[in-house]
Amino acid sequence: MGAAVIRCEDVTKRFGTTEALGGVDLVVEAGDVFGYLGPNGAGKTTTLRLVMGMIRPTSGRVEVFGLDAWRDRSAIHRRVGYISGDVALYDRLTGQDHVDFVGHLQGLGRPPEAGALAERLGLGLRRPARELSRGNRQKLALVLALMTRPELLVLDEPSSGLDPMVQREFHTLLAQHAARGGTVLLSSHVLSEVQRVATRIGVISRGRLVAVERLDDVRAKALHHVEVQFASPVAAGAFETIEGVRDVRIEGALLRCDAPQSSLDPLLKEVSRHEVVDLTCIEAELEETFMAYYTKAAADVA
Amino acid sequence: MLRDVLLKTLRDQRRSYAAWCLSVVLLVAMYVALWPSIRDQPSMQDFLDQMPQALRNLLATSGADMSTPVGYIQVEFLSFMGPILVILYAVLAGSGAVAGEEDRRTLDLLLATPVARSRIVVDKAVAMVLGALGLTTLLGVALLLEGTFVGLDLPAGKVAAAMLHLALLGLVFGALSLLVGAATGRLALSRGVPAFVAVVAYVVNGLGGLVSWLEPFQKLSPFFQYAGHDPLHAGVSWLGVTVAVATVAVLVVGGALAFERRDVAS
Ligand SMILES: Nc1ncnc2c1ncn2[C@@H]1O[C@H](COP(=O)(O)OP(=O)(O)O)[C@@H](O)[C@H]1O
Ligand SMILES: [Mg+2]
Repeated sequence: MGAAVIRCEDVTKRFGTTEALGGVDLVVEAGDVFGYLGPNGAGKTTTLRLVMGMIRPTSGRVEVFGLDAWRDRSAIHRRVGYISGDVALYDRLTGQDHVDFVGHLQGLGRPPEAGALAERLGLGLRRPARELSRGNRQKLALVLALMTRPELLVLDEPSSGLDPMVQREFHTLLAQHAARGGTVLLSSHVLSEVQRVATRIGVISRGRLVAVERLDDVRAKALHHVEVQFASPVAAGAFETIEGVRDVRIEGALLRCDAPQSSLDPLLKEVSRHEVVDLTCIEAELEETFMAYYTKAAADVA
Repeated sequence: MLRDVLLKTLRDQRRSYAAWCLSVVLLVAMYVALWPSIRDQPSMQDFLDQMPQALRNLLATSGADMSTPVGYIQVEFLSFMGPILVILYAVLAGSGAVAGEEDRRTLDLLLATPVARSRIVVDKAVAMVLGALGLTTLLGVALLLEGTFVGLDLPAGKVAAAMLHLALLGLVFGALSLLVGAATGRLALSRGVPAFVAVVAYVVNGLGGLVSWLEPFQKLSPFFQYAGHDPLHAGVSWLGVTVAVATVAVLVVGGALAFERRDVAS
């Protein structure tokens, strides 16, 4: 485990009377690719802007590299690449102009990485930003955030507008960044967008952080849809009491239920006490597992 | 040209600045072209003399003699059209500086870099100052050069003085616009507030000499610093320059401090 790169301590942010975040405690460690998940309006953008020192917490502390995110933002920004949730570019400037300008403001002159990055993403740098498609604007924003080889990437829904091929390349870039010891905080409203790269995920709902888990742990909880056709009708009771098994439904001799990996063994032992005609076991999408566990956590908070 | 915020801001202005310069040259040409017919028409002066005192004061022309080049330019150009042009330029530059970029959301690109917010405000203010000085310089040169074609001969030193005061007049409202934009991020407000203040200041200056309760306020008006001493005759008023420069500096510093302290929310 690395040192804390981002540390939020009991952070609350109010806009007027709206509480966008309430008492959030969050630590992102060096080398983490932290997927920050939640539905629209949950508080993802607010959190990321606090980390970037663009807004000040109403109470609590936000630290990046051990520095105060609001007061020491200039020092922090030297080491961070950011993509805003609402990517805007200078219409008249070309991609290369953006690279030169942001490069100079970052204190690096003309970043040599930019050309290669753009090429990997299949982005030409010669056209003015106003002529770029939504996907290409998003690519340019990625190039600008990554080209300075920052220690930390703060990315607000960066994959929106990217086609699947480019998204794959983007994930590879993030994985390489993490392999070099870099850290990533990226937000999304769907798990599928981050599950390939994230090492840890945090779930936010209505301004509350409801869960933080290693993605491997979520995978271990991955639900399997189990369907068993018995020779004769069975009772639900014995199956329902198995630890971890959910949603037991019995229609005569047909059993349907969901079970995490860890429950498969006791479940099958119980199943084999009866005469089995047919059995299927399909792993659910991670997204589904995730929703099953965390919509409940979110509902508990509300 | 993309090394820092100042150079980028100047670069962004290129096209619109060319249009501003062209307008200035053409506008001056129009006033210059009208000069011979006005000069040969003494009734214009009678017309002015017959105007109510309040209206004449409002146009800041009391005592001006329309049949002389200096009087003509003062009445026709420097009392209304000139200030409008330069104030408009400065307020557009001032509101575009922070509120404009925030409105178009490009501000996030700047705020994610190590460049301090106060530095962004100062760079944008410097670009505005250079732009206003350039525009008024061109205006002065156009008046002097274009005037020679029709015998509208003006004293170069006094024109330079008037242009300095004109630039400062515009910059006071431009800096106010920059302050409001930096403090609130609201584009409409950053244009509306200076426009409103300019109208009030114009009226207070114009009527200050006539309406006794307005008189103490007259000297506070930027229009008084600009033309109260009649720069085409009296040259530079160093007091007026000092007051205007100090006002601009205070507004810009205020804008920088306010911008450092406020949330830039999405
Ligand atoms: N500038 C703002 N003024 C008022 N309310 C805001 C502002 N920004 C965000 N909010 C509110 O805070 C909550 C969280 O918003 P946000 O962080 O943008 O969510 P997300 O990025 O997860 O969609 C929402 O209810 C939103 O309406
Ligand atoms: Mg958002």
